[in-house]
Amino acid sequence: MSKKTIPVTAAFATLMLASGFIAADVDYTKLSPAELAEYLIFDAGGFNLDEKMQEGGTAKQRLVQDELQKVCSATRNQPSPEQAAKIMADAKASIQYPEGDIKLGDWKKGRELAWSGFGYRLSPKYDDHSKDQVGGNCYNCHQIATDRQGGTIGPSLTGYGKTRGTGQEALRLTYGIIYNAHSMFPCTRMPRQGAKGLLTQDEILDVMAYLFDPESPVNQ
Amino acid sequence: MMRTFLAAVPLVAVMVQPVSAAPVQDPAEVLQALIESTDSLYLTQSEQNLMMMPDNPALWSMEEGEKLFRTPRGPNNVSLEACDLGKGPGVLEGAYVELPRYFADTRKVMDLETRLVHCMKTLQGFPDNDPAVKNRHGSDSDQMRLQNYIAAQSNGMPWNTPMDHPLEKAMRDAGEAVFNRRSGPFDFNCASCHGEEGKRIRASVLPYAANPKEWTKAISWPAFRVGQEHLRSSQHRLSECFWQMRYPAIVGGSDLSIALLSFWTDKARGEPAIVPDLKR
Repeated sequence: MSKKTIPVTAAFATLMLASGFIAADVDYTKLSPAELAEYLIFDAGGFNLDEKMQEGGTAKQRLVQDELQKVCSATRNQPSPEQAAKIMADAKASIQYPEGDIKLGDWKKGRELAWSGFGYRLSPKYDDHSKDQVGGNCYNCHQIATDRQGGTIGPSLTGYGKTRGTGQEALRLTYGIIYNAHSMFPCTRMPRQGAKGLLTQDEILDVMAYLFDPESPVNQ
Repeated sequence: MMRTFLAAVPLVAVMVQPVSAAPVQDPAEVLQALIESTDSLYLTQSEQNLMMMPDNPALWSMEEGEKLFRTPRGPNNVSLEACDLGKGPGVLEGAYVELPRYFADTRKVMDLETRLVHCMKTLQGFPDNDPAVKNRHGSDSDQMRLQNYIAAQSNGMPWNTPMDHPLEKAMRDAGEAVFNRRSGPFDFNCASCHGEEGKRIRASVLPYAANPKEWTKAISWPAFRVGQEHLRSSQHRLSECFWQMRYPAIVGGSDLSIALLSFWTDKARGEPAIVPDLKR
């Protein structure tokens, strides 16, 4: 829960009913839009906060914003130069690189990871990681190889390795973007695949093989 | 096919109620006029959907919805004709495009679903656990049949939710804050998908919330979801979005859901509702 909501919830009585928390005597018009949003999410029965998450704990934790999410939400993804510098520095510090040189994984595995993406969904169709891998969701937003249709929220990655080569500098840069894209693009919409534990290091290297390997359909 | 549908109405009408079950205008015509008034990849992405609109199964359940509305039901054995959806008891025409709105009797901002459930409980006496008020999803539910019929009485009318009461503004503004609030393992908010024009998730063109001509189509529920083969509500759409975003399930009828619906309806202000709609 954000600091702001603490005085709000403390200031007003809430009444617990069988169906959950129902607000009593809370004057919504006295709260700022952001305060009321927090109140509706955490204290007025808006979400099923008790659901168990795949990563442990309850869904309530999933809705608590970290610093990056707060700044990017408040600025509508347009951080000030100072905020942007801090976001990029923090994101860079979060990146855990493989030991030694970056070695590309298996582009065929990377291809499937780039296409799949069911992981971490909650009810009503809950992902327990048993049927499918978590997946990278890459194709949702990016065009990558041309044999499958990708989205357009992110830039096209077709021919990615062909234009960049496979030098360590290009590999380290790309690893960093996949691990935590805010290191390069503060308040980007791209998920923090490594920093949030969505993809493992090996999976990132497989996705990178899909992007860089000259044999990969991405570079054909 | 719309003609066939209309032609079938008088036959049934002899047996049941006075006919007003058909939408005031053909939803397909409302959509067509919208498409012609602008240049939108989102509105034009599915030729197939446009062609199927006259055969929309949602049109067929209209009479069932009207019957449920006008027949005395529930422990109190009364119809819903005394239900005030915001424009006076029993007034359905144009009621839906002015929801969510503030209701003095409950001192709450309510959407179509919560207001309808309120009427069914207070007027008809349905208890909380009765399927009539408890089951809110699926073509076979009383809720969807009723919502579909009531909403269709606003087809073609511009969204025009009142913002006179301070609570209506507070809910809309909180809805906007939630819409832009990033959280969860993927850092998603609603704007991740609806914050830019003409963008696609894989093959699907996404509606842009700041373009009311696109947004009216996006928020026009009830709609028959072809992929799910069911009639779906606004509340159901909300739950689908949050599931995709890896959030926990939103509680139907919660103030959080009403705040989001207040904001999203406000973003379509002035553009015509297409109800019932047909969606993929």
